[in-house]
Amino acid sequence: MSDTFILNLVDRPEMAPEYAQKTTQSGQKDDIADDALIRESLAIFLFQQKAAHDRGLKTTIEMTYASLFNDEVVAAAKHDREVYGDEIALTLLGLPCREFYAKYKTKDFCIWMFSEKDKKRIVDDVFTLFHKKFGFYPKSTGSYYLDAFTINYIKAKYPSVVAAVATCWEEGVKAYHTTNDSWYTFLDGGPWAPWIPSKANSAVPASSIEDDCGLVGIPHLSRDLIACYDGNGSNFGTHPQNVLRGMVYKDNEIPYFYNLVDMYRHQAKYNNGYAYNMMFVGPGWLNKAGRWEAPYALLKKAYEDGLDYYAKLKKEGRLVDMTMSEFAAFYRKSHPSYMTPEVALWKDVLYGFQKEYFWYCDPFLRTCLDFNQGGAMIDLRPYAAKLAIPVGIGTGNAYDATYPYIIEANYRAGYFTHYAGQGTIKSCRVKRKEEIVDLCLERTMATFSKEGDDAVVTTDPFEVKLADTTLTMQSAFRFEKGKGIVEVTRRILANSASVPVTLEEYLVGCYGREEYSLDMTGIRLEVIGAKTKRLSYAYKGRALEEDKASAKATIPPIDTVVALTGEGLLARVEEGIAFSPMFTLSVEKTLTKGELTSCLSLKKAR
Amino acid sequence: MPQSKKGPLNYRCPSCFSREIDMDMFYDEAKKEYYCLRCCYHGTEEEVLKANALVKAKYGLLDRRVDDIGLDDQPLHTHPYKKGEL
Repeated sequence: MSDTFILNLVDRPEMAPEYAQKTTQSGQKDDIADDALIRESLAIFLFQQKAAHDRGLKTTIEMTYASLFNDEVVAAAKHDREVYGDEIALTLLGLPCREFYAKYKTKDFCIWMFSEKDKKRIVDDVFTLFHKKFGFYPKSTGSYYLDAFTINYIKAKYPSVVAAVATCWEEGVKAYHTTNDSWYTFLDGGPWAPWIPSKANSAVPASSIEDDCGLVGIPHLSRDLIACYDGNGSNFGTHPQNVLRGMVYKDNEIPYFYNLVDMYRHQAKYNNGYAYNMMFVGPGWLNKAGRWEAPYALLKKAYEDGLDYYAKLKKEGRLVDMTMSEFAAFYRKSHPSYMTPEVALWKDVLYGFQKEYFWYCDPFLRTCLDFNQGGAMIDLRPYAAKLAIPVGIGTGNAYDATYPYIIEANYRAGYFTHYAGQGTIKSCRVKRKEEIVDLCLERTMATFSKEGDDAVVTTDPFEVKLADTTLTMQSAFRFEKGKGIVEVTRRILANSASVPVTLEEYLVGCYGREEYSLDMTGIRLEVIGAKTKRLSYAYKGRALEEDKASAKATIPPIDTVVALTGEGLLARVEEGIAFSPMFTLSVEKTLTKGELTSCLSLKKAR
Repeated sequence: MPQSKKGPLNYRCPSCFSREIDMDMFYDEAKKEYYCLRCCYHGTEEEVLKANALVKAKYGLLDRRVDDIGLDDQPLHTHPYKKGEL
């Protein structure tokens, strides 16, 4: 298959856009029915549509509830479908309007945060009104995030729907902090690229036809896989105004946007020739009052520059623009196996730092390796547990749609900690006599390969200097397709003094959603060999070890078993303390040459 | 002294921005300065613009265009961005 880079360009006519009033004006009453606001919103939508069509790009028009009451928007959408082949879809964003407030008596606007009863009521209301206006039900829908309950309800009641914008990658704690702790979209832990959501949890890729929710999930924007993980997710995506928000421009030019698009295009190399972008700029980002430091003229220029680049790629035959439902059909055809992973080998295109991440996502796990830390695992989400996490008013969890982690090196310290204890990470320690060198301090880069069905990433050789010998080493990570297993090999390529060293593969884990520790009590740690030894987590810093064994943690709150296994290895588990509420699994081997091979596996506990 | 309001452009606090917080500033007409509600930053428009320019310094590729992503384990190749280049 030759490389195919697909663009979904999505516009939404929002009659009372987020930010349009409160952020840009002050001392004025919040008037959602203000005529001037509605006129401006309409003008922005028409501008966006024209900007796309003038460049030969088709769009998906995601009608909002508010816009369905506006005959001009409805007429414009019908016209653009007829003339330009745009798809008329329906978003569950943009609910706020006079009619919504009168009917639902609430200012909530995120569909996943409503009660189950209201989710059904709102979905039915919006879909029915859409049908009344257009004479058909939409094929595509979405929101910033769609929870499994809402998706399953939509698919059962409106089977025409085949695609949905269903998450915004790594929008969570970082977005909350960026907004002065006022933006409650906690969606961390999902896929960064399109996927088929599981019926159990929409963040998790479906593992079978029985688990398939029936829609293709589309991320809200294509976000920078280094910058959005390390920093503010709201600044670094295929959204030119987000790029302005991040002040990533000089002399009103945004080369970063083009570099970001190119890094996404490059991912076709690792994903069977397929790469994807989604651009979705809400009208609030193009209002005449400007946005923060950016005056309207710059907002408009950046928007047009972004489209110009996509249009150029299309003209050169290097981009295919599709509507969302067209893309869903393409995706189904090009991804016949549920087990096909999405991967990304991503270089920094923003800071000029030679940092490289490898991201991997399949129905069993989402993970990230950081080659600036020797290939340390800095993120691990146990999709194998396929956790059903109801969200919304009345569920006991009003807003948090995060999929939990076992490792999150930025939220939970990683290699570097202050004073005592450890942070979450998976790496390897090289030990000789009193010396310990952690491979987290080996800065390297890596090469991707396919070996059979497996994805393999291999680091460049690196040196480990010890007092009486220097090792040349290399690490290789094999992601076994459809198994939830990552095999890690640490090779000693050379050992200058031919002295024995101990290689200890370790994982420091916990479980959580945001930055703070949750109760670790009752997590079961085991070493399993000729004998099985176990302890129940009680913050006592105890350790167990057993030769020729494996190390395992069972984490009841996330229904997950995580294990490190290998042939003939000394296995160890260690509980943490209240000041460092983690657990450690490790397996080790002493050798002079050769390699240590171990496997990380994830399973559902029950 | 009358209440503060937002300025003609809606500047964020450069100090908060540098730690990834978008914090709108308000304008004190009497002192002719923008100020932050969250931290102690305050400054004239000129000072804000200078501080913003410093914040951008962390973006090493701000004005560079990638021309070759290169082999997996090799650095990017870039060149100075030329105005209008796509």
